[in-house]
This record gives sequence, structure tokens and C-alpha cells, in this order.
Amino acid sequence: MTESTIQPDSMIEMIKVSKVYPPDVKALSSISLSIDRGEMFFLIGMSGAGKTTLLKLLCNMETPTNGLIEVAGHQIHQLKGAKLAKIRQKIGVAYQDFKLLDNRTVAENIAISMEVSYKKPTIIKKRVRDLLDQLLLSDKHDTMAGELSRGEQQRVALARAVANSPTLILVDEPTGNLDSTTTARVMNLLNKCNHAGATIIIATHDESIYRNSQHRILELREGKIFSLQGGSPS
Amino acid sequence: MNFWFAVLRQAGRNLRQTWPSQIMTLLTVGLSVLLFALFFLIYQNMLNVGDKLGDDLRLIVYLQEEPGPEMQEQLRRKITNFDEVEQIKFISKEDAYKRFSEQLGDDRDVLDDLPTDFLPASIEVTPKKNLRSLAQVQLFSEYLNKLPGTIKVQYGQEWVERFFYFTKLVSLVVVLSGSLLILTSIFKVAHTIRLTIINRQAELELLKLVGATNNYIRTPFLMEGLLQGLLGALAGIAALYLIYTWIKLKFSGPGLLHLFDFTFFNGPTIFTIIVISITLCAVGSYTSIQKFLRK
Repeated sequence: MTESTIQPDSMIEMIKVSKVYPPDVKALSSISLSIDRGEMFFLIGMSGAGKTTLLKLLCNMETPTNGLIEVAGHQIHQLKGAKLAKIRQKIGVAYQDFKLLDNRTVAENIAISMEVSYKKPTIIKKRVRDLLDQLLLSDKHDTMAGELSRGEQQRVALARAVANSPTLILVDEPTGNLDSTTTARVMNLLNKCNHAGATIIIATHDESIYRNSQHRILELREGKIFSLQGGSPS
Repeated sequence: MNFWFAVLRQAGRNLRQTWPSQIMTLLTVGLSVLLFALFFLIYQNMLNVGDKLGDDLRLIVYLQEEPGPEMQEQLRRKITNFDEVEQIKFISKEDAYKRFSEQLGDDRDVLDDLPTDFLPASIEVTPKKNLRSLAQVQLFSEYLNKLPGTIKVQYGQEWVERFFYFTKLVSLVVVLSGSLLILTSIFKVAHTIRLTIINRQAELELLKLVGATNNYIRTPFLMEGLLQGLLGALAGIAALYLIYTWIKLKFSGPGLLHLFDFTFFNGPTIFTIIVISITLCAVGSYTSIQKFLRK
């Protein structure tokens, strides 16, 4: 269930990680976990189980109360300034609340993650078009993000997360507002990224996307690891 | 895409989104520069008047006796002991009579019945032509008054004193308006940038999360500050130049302005004002964005 042996090719190492929100809300308790580079990993559990907190800890949006977290060999919570910025460019996150800029177009929202790493405008344009095609959003290129439906916003958030070809992709409830066709498209895109070498962690309620999966599935209950099923780390 | 391209685009976006508050800031900075530069211009021209006054300023020391060569040398030493002076000229009784007679012109016959030595001998002391010498002209006069054989010392005392009180007042106003410029520029620019940051909090947070470096976030705001400083200073100086031209035209006839050259700032002074304005605005902008980045 818990893995404390540090593997040389692991993307994520969590050792006895806890997170307590003030005044005394225990979101995670003593989580130890290792995820390999290139692995697709599912985090499941009921609302409030700690899935989102775990993802936030991995991208340094939150700091752990206790324990050690290493991402790509770096103790991410010790990093600051340019080093933190550099590692964040390698982590794509699709947030549960999307974090889209409502007064910017869909294309601008997706481009933002590539602009910060100074990609060429021609490459950015091409990548944006390509992602919009894959997620059935081609006609929304110049639409303001605030005018999109929730399902569309969800896909834009995912497009932004994968746009910069990150080595680690964290996805929080990627299919919550989607029909089955679009869900298949989203999973197709994530699988593509995974085959290209990205480590992907998906927090989800949606049983349909992990039911027949051969990937590992971690179930959280009340902030603790309840079960870890599926194949061994690739 | 390189850093500067990305940063310029960000700065352009900021300006487009917040142009009303940017214009208000620009006006405030421009007015502050105008206010400061106006008083500084007056002060600078007062210094010119001081120079001009220095040209004409002489202290006349009337003596009881006409000094012999040895006494002249002693007096010369005594005078230069107090301060360096431009010139010391001894006027004998006879020279004084000649001068007076020349000044009377056609009326010189009124002197016919008077002896040629009825006027006292005197020393004309011309102080150095700088403001320091002018400022202590009263002290100098008191010193000369105490020299042995002095009857009295004369100079345009009242005028000089009034002039110096006025110069002091103007210099105080320059200091105050300078401080005002510093405070308003820093606070107004800092305030505008803070408002921009609040408006764009979500975007800046997101930029951090997707891996933007602090420089990437900070530089567009710094550029805004620089631009505010530059444009504000240019606007302020341009407005002052218009006022200056108007005054020159309005008072171009015989009058006060003909007594001295009313001049505008030279190139280096304008450059310095612009650089100061830019620096202050950049400081204002920097402090605001640093507060956000430290969070």
C-alpha cells in the first residue's frame, strides 16, 4: 500500500505527507507514495477525501504540514524564484475550478502556459489550433473564456495544462461536465501525452475512465490511503 | 519568443486594460513635475539675478583720512583676510571730487565754491560674483565698518536683503515642491500599479502557477512605471515651456524681464528632471509589485 523505497526513475516521491488546514481540518494523513516517470495514475475517492489537496501539494500550490515531497528529484517546497518557476513550467495542471481568464480568448488562455517559457508565436499558434481540434473546440478559438459552457471551459483548462508539453500533468476531475464522446476525446488526449512520456495523475469520480484501466488506482478515504490497486509502476 | 517580446506584449496588454487609471497617473505625475520645475525655474532665474546683482554690487567704505601707500596695503590685507574679493579700489578725495563733478554734468558749477577735497576718501570693494559672497554681504559690511578709520559702509543694503529673503523663500518652495514631486510620483504610481495588480490578481496568480519567473511578472509593471515617469516628465516640462513662452511674450516690453535674462532650463537640467521622474515612478512601481511577489 505505501511505498517508501526511492526509485531512481520516479517522478514523484511522497513520504509521510500530511496536510492540516487551520483550525484543525486534517485533509491528508501520512501519505507515502511513489509514482514513476511516464506512469498514468488515478486518484479516486469521495468528495473531501483529499484528492485535490494531494494535487495542490504536488504543484506547490499548498505546502505540506509534515513530510517530504519530491517532484522530478526536487523537494518542490524548498524551491523558490527562478528554480520554482522552471519546474512549474514542466508541470501542467488542469484545476477543478479551471482558473481561466474570463476576459481573454480561448486561444490566449491556452497560449499563456507556452508564453512563459518563451515559445515562438508560430509554434504557439500551431499548438493551440491543434489542441482545439483534438478537443472539439476549433470554433471557439476567439471566444472569450467567460462565454463558454462549463464543459468547454473544462476542456480549455485541460488544453492549457498539456500545451507546453509538460513532463508531469495533474488533472482534477477532467470529465465532470462532459458527455461520453467528449470524455473519450479528453482521455484520448491524455493518453497521447502519456505515450509521449508525460507522467499523468488524474483525480476523478468518474468510474468510466478508470474502470477498465490497467493503470494504478489509489483510493483516498478521509485523507488516508484506503487502497492501491492495479499494475505495478511501469 | 524572447523575454523582451513577451514582456512588451504584457505591458501593452496592461496599458490597454487599465488606460483610464494610467491617464490619471500620468496627469498627476505631469502636474507634480510641472509644479516642481516651475519653482525650480524661478529659483534658477533668481540665481541669475543674483549673478547680475553681483556684477553691480560694490561696498563703499568711506574713510576719515586718505590712506597712504602703507596704510592702503594694510587695509587691503585686512579686507582679503575676511574673504576673497573681486577687486579693491582706493578712491582719493580728489578722484571722488572728479567723479562727482562728472556725474553732475552741466550742473557741475555748483561745486565751484567748494574745496576739491570736501568729499571723503573711500575704498570700493567688489565682492566675488557668487551667491555665497552675496549672502554674506551684510557680515562683510559689518566687518568693513569696524576697520580703523572707517566712517561708514554703503551698499544697496535694503534691496540686497529683500532679494535674499526672497531667494531663501523660493529655495524653500523648491525643496517643498521637490518633496511633493517625490511623494506624489511614488505613491500615485504605486497606487495605480496596486490597482492593476488587484484587477489582475487572478491572472498574476495563474502566471505564477504556470511557471512565469518573477522577472516575467515584474518587468511589464516596471516598464509601466518607466513610461509614466518619462511621459509625465515630458508633459510637465512641455507645459512649463508653454507657460514660459507665454510669460516671455506677455512681458516682452520694458519691465522686470528686461532687467535680467529670463531663461529656460538647459539640456542637462531637462535630462536630469526626466531621469529623476523616471526613477521615482520606477521605484513606486517596483515596491508595489514586490509586495505581490513576496506573498
